[in-house]
Amino acid sequence: MFFFYIYNRSRASHRLWSSAPLCATDTIFALSSGQGKCGVAVVRVSGPASALALRGLTGPDRPPAPRTAALRSIFHPQSKEILDRGLVFWFPGPHSFTGEDSAEFHVHGGPAVVSGVLDALGSLPGLRPAEAGEFTRRAFHAGKLGLTEVEGLGDLIHAETEAQRRQALRQMAGDLAQLYRDWSQRLTQCLAHVEAFIDFGEDDLIEDGVLDQVDNSVAQLQTEITCHLHDGRKGERLRSGVQVVIAGETNAGKSSLLNLLCRRPAAIVSPIAGTTRDVVETCLDIGGFPVLLSDTAGLRETADAVEQEGVRRAREKVEQADLTLVVVDATQLPTDPLQESLRHCILVLNKSDLLPVEQVEKTQTFLNKNPGLPPASLLSCHTSHGLENFMTSLQSRLSSLCGDPLAGTPSLTQARHRAHLHECFQALGQYQQYRDVDLALAAEGVRLALTGLGRITGKVGAEEILDIIFRDFCIGK
Amino acid sequence: MLARRVLNRPRSLASPSSWAASARTVTACDVIVVGGGHAGTEAAAAATRVGAETLLVTQKIQTIGALSCNPSLGGVGKGQLVREVDALDGLMGRAGDWAGVHFSILNRSKGPAVWGPRAQLDRPRYRQFIQAELLSMPRLTVVEGSVEELLVSEPDPEKPGKHRVTGVRMADTGRIILARSVVLTTGTFLSGSLFMGQTTSPGGRMGDPPSGSGLSRSLKEVLGLRLGRLRTGTPPRIFKRSVDLSLAQLQLPDQRPTPFSFISNGTHCKPEEQLPCYLINTTPGVERVVRESLHLNSHIQQDTRGPRYCPSIESRVLRFPGRQHQVWLEPEGLTSDLLYPQGLSMTMPPDLQVRLLREIPALRKAEIQAPGYGVQYDFVCPTQLFPSLEVRSAQGLFLAGQINGTTGYEEAAAQGVWAGVSAGRRALSLPPLSLSRTQSYIGVLIDDLVGRGITEPYRMFTSRAEFRTSLRPDNADLRLTLKGYCDIGCVSPRRYEEAVRMKAGLSEALSALQDITLSPTRWREKLPQAAVSANKSGIMSAEEVLQYKDVSFEMLASAFPDVLGPYVEFAERLKIEAMYRPHCEKQRREIERILQEESLSLPQDVDYLSLPVSLSQEVRELLDRVRPATLGAASRLPGMTPAAILHLLNYITRTPQRDRSAERSSTPDPQNLSDESRDSFPCVPVSQ
Repeated sequence: MFFFYIYNRSRASHRLWSSAPLCATDTIFALSSGQGKCGVAVVRVSGPASALALRGLTGPDRPPAPRTAALRSIFHPQSKEILDRGLVFWFPGPHSFTGEDSAEFHVHGGPAVVSGVLDALGSLPGLRPAEAGEFTRRAFHAGKLGLTEVEGLGDLIHAETEAQRRQALRQMAGDLAQLYRDWSQRLTQCLAHVEAFIDFGEDDLIEDGVLDQVDNSVAQLQTEITCHLHDGRKGERLRSGVQVVIAGETNAGKSSLLNLLCRRPAAIVSPIAGTTRDVVETCLDIGGFPVLLSDTAGLRETADAVEQEGVRRAREKVEQADLTLVVVDATQLPTDPLQESLRHCILVLNKSDLLPVEQVEKTQTFLNKNPGLPPASLLSCHTSHGLENFMTSLQSRLSSLCGDPLAGTPSLTQARHRAHLHECFQALGQYQQYRDVDLALAAEGVRLALTGLGRITGKVGAEEILDIIFRDFCIGK
Repeated sequence: MLARRVLNRPRSLASPSSWAASARTVTACDVIVVGGGHAGTEAAAAATRVGAETLLVTQKIQTIGALSCNPSLGGVGKGQLVREVDALDGLMGRAGDWAGVHFSILNRSKGPAVWGPRAQLDRPRYRQFIQAELLSMPRLTVVEGSVEELLVSEPDPEKPGKHRVTGVRMADTGRIILARSVVLTTGTFLSGSLFMGQTTSPGGRMGDPPSGSGLSRSLKEVLGLRLGRLRTGTPPRIFKRSVDLSLAQLQLPDQRPTPFSFISNGTHCKPEEQLPCYLINTTPGVERVVRESLHLNSHIQQDTRGPRYCPSIESRVLRFPGRQHQVWLEPEGLTSDLLYPQGLSMTMPPDLQVRLLREIPALRKAEIQAPGYGVQYDFVCPTQLFPSLEVRSAQGLFLAGQINGTTGYEEAAAQGVWAGVSAGRRALSLPPLSLSRTQSYIGVLIDDLVGRGITEPYRMFTSRAEFRTSLRPDNADLRLTLKGYCDIGCVSPRRYEEAVRMKAGLSEALSALQDITLSPTRWREKLPQAAVSANKSGIMSAEEVLQYKDVSFEMLASAFPDVLGPYVEFAERLKIEAMYRPHCEKQRREIERILQEESLSLPQDVDYLSLPVSLSQEVRELLDRVRPATLGAASRLPGMTPAAILHLLNYITRTPQRDRSAERSSTPDPQNLSDESRDSFPCVPVSQ
């Protein structure tokens, strides 16, 4: 009886995850299929403001009949600029995937149209980009998923969070990351100083003017964030496509594999170990899937400073990759193939032409008998023997990666960042509004701003604030 | 039965002798509380309020309720705890109102959510109040003595835990006292040592005998608990007559003292009888004496963790050299000729202490009554406790106060109330309860302790409470007193009725405010002081107008005397409610989410390492190590993933309890982890 009771309680909720923003009543949107090079892209909206989104992007007249396709012009609600002409659907709750009011926009594939629609949706009140797995979680809580679907849900969420994490890592490597991190540090400092003033201001030598400094910082941050939001649209160009990285020990034939795949000598190959010292990137279309293929320096201990840097970049690349092709010399099968995680990889046993025939058979049998290993292909880059087999394996991985609607969608990540930055900006307004009325409410504003930013850069906990307080002030009571 | 009657009789100071007479016999009660400090007294009182026959064991009855360090109560963050202890019908707030000689609300200008009610206390009055309350309390017996060891037996297989604590054996008489729950509140006495200069002696407080080492051994060796070591200190006490107060800055109390307690009609001390405090600053000479005496100061050379926010003068000048540091000279009471120099706790040899003091102009001729000293003591790593403050591995053993690594009277009292409630409920076979961090600072305190553990003495700050705009000192009664009566059972009918009256009055007044609606133009006519903006459109309620900075409820009441006149007694609280309501509404959803997660208990007996759900090895090990009590606690763990939370949710909602038990018994468990606990639901959250 008790379990039935709590199960019902959990069904009533839309959110049980602390990492996600609050509000069960938020309306969320995301590109749910058709990333990269596809004919049709589907953007899905779910939540109470779905009808508003539909009206906002297609005009107030002629709402489509429930669950029926309707051809409409889709425009930006503010600029009225036509973004595309496509099919729209209206699914009133509870008869929808999530159980809530939902809408779908089926538009022409391609990054420009898709990011235009996502931007347009993000400009409407009450709408925000979905977090990883949020549609599915809402469906789960609405009791819309069967037992077997629920079993798979955890893995899906895991995959989505992983994809997002990698996407974030890619972006966080650049200047943008530096900027967000700098803002986050300054905000943390602001919050710590307001908190110090609240918790210790009465009794201690908290220097006068601590709050004035915070005022200045907050105003400065507001200006910077506004500027960023205004030119952010044309900001950092984010690369689309599945990121595939070739990695392995030196002289295993990584560059040969790159050249084989792009059918042109994109990289210099030589029998000298350590020929490739930097990351070589090339855009490819493999079986219709957009791929950004990177060749990396061979992983080995080296005294050469240039090569060391190459190895460092190679490791970084592997960390950010959606898929790693681990190239191993089949004639010198290592006992410890690669230190890196083998979760997202295909094992390529290169130089099969140099193996005696019985050894080839032995290796095949071994691979077949060990299902715990990642998918592996025996290949000769020299003779192209085994290439077909390898391509099948590669394409099946690419197709499962592209089926994951969140992997490598920079426009969506960007839209999410914008939403969080906007939250942050508004919360800073609360600080200014309450600065002279109620410092507790003003501090709440800084805290909310930090939470918004923290959704991009990672959380800041109470202990961290206290650490800054004790570092900056001599608290004697 | 006979034992029970014997225990009930000696309730007065005169009675301890009757105990000696019946030495070496075995007696029994529901709850034994060891220690008569702030945690112990609140625990004993709370256990009796819940309905348990309780025995308080203390070394000296005359030190019950002693303020062993600073003569003050409350402050920012701490004041909230005092209000909450009072809302649960504890002693501390009323004792403060009785003993206070200087009342002030700190942070008055920073918003009601962070106001810090605070008072300087008269030491004897505080002690007398607590002793009078305890010694006249029904179902409570107070006895002098010290406990030598805990009696430990086999656990109740139906409940979590490896051991069961069944009572205590007294040190001097060897007498055995049996109880269903034991609460330890030993403060700094657990393997305590005192430091002054280069000398060290065993003890927990100067002037009191050290406790036997038996308890430490019981905890460490018999129960296998992890202990840590912390330090603290206290300043020298200075004769007031030797201080030139003309060189100090006068600090006056509030003209209208605000009582701590929701049911006090006022403070015992008349407003005009209040005593002032004095503010002085350190000089470069102070720093010089500290540096010159370092080699004679063994306490400061130790690397045991001390509090960062209540540092000794030695740590202050070493960490922030070349600065002036504030020192407050606080009165010790109405009749006392001593001053307490807050901010000057020190452990150097006494002659150097005098030299240091005399480097400050106002203290040039200072004489000390007692030197300052340092204390190092053991604490039990609090992650070994349930949110009810019961030790996870020892059924019936509860810990509260400094033994859990906290510092401060208020933090001790807050845990004391909760440990007393829990111990009493256990003795009466009532299910254990937990307080959520979304409801109270007490909940924040306990959740931080049992969920995260400590690395330095833990003190409450308002910044620790994520929902502090909802957890205000003004509304502790609405948050806790009603539940305290209905669900927890630790609140007297009289206090409950007062809280009910208050709640009804406030909600009637709020709807009356919401019902008054006018256009902005009409508001400008009716209430020109509010300066309602001319660009404002739409109808505005009186509640919205009350949110304006310069509008008070009294102003509105004089504009609408018929409707609002009856509610003038709630004026201050209504203003605060109106200010904070929109923000609390926003927080409510987040709070509900957390509460929902906290309502989903994780089975305590589950073997995470072999649980048949898809969890990564890292997450399994994390869960196995921390064993969070609820899904909420699990989701706050660093390293937890959304997917893992979903799998756990799915597991607890879809797997009937029976099957889980079957899994447990059929799973061979080499590490025997499952004997940690056998109950699925260690604590039921107090309902909203």
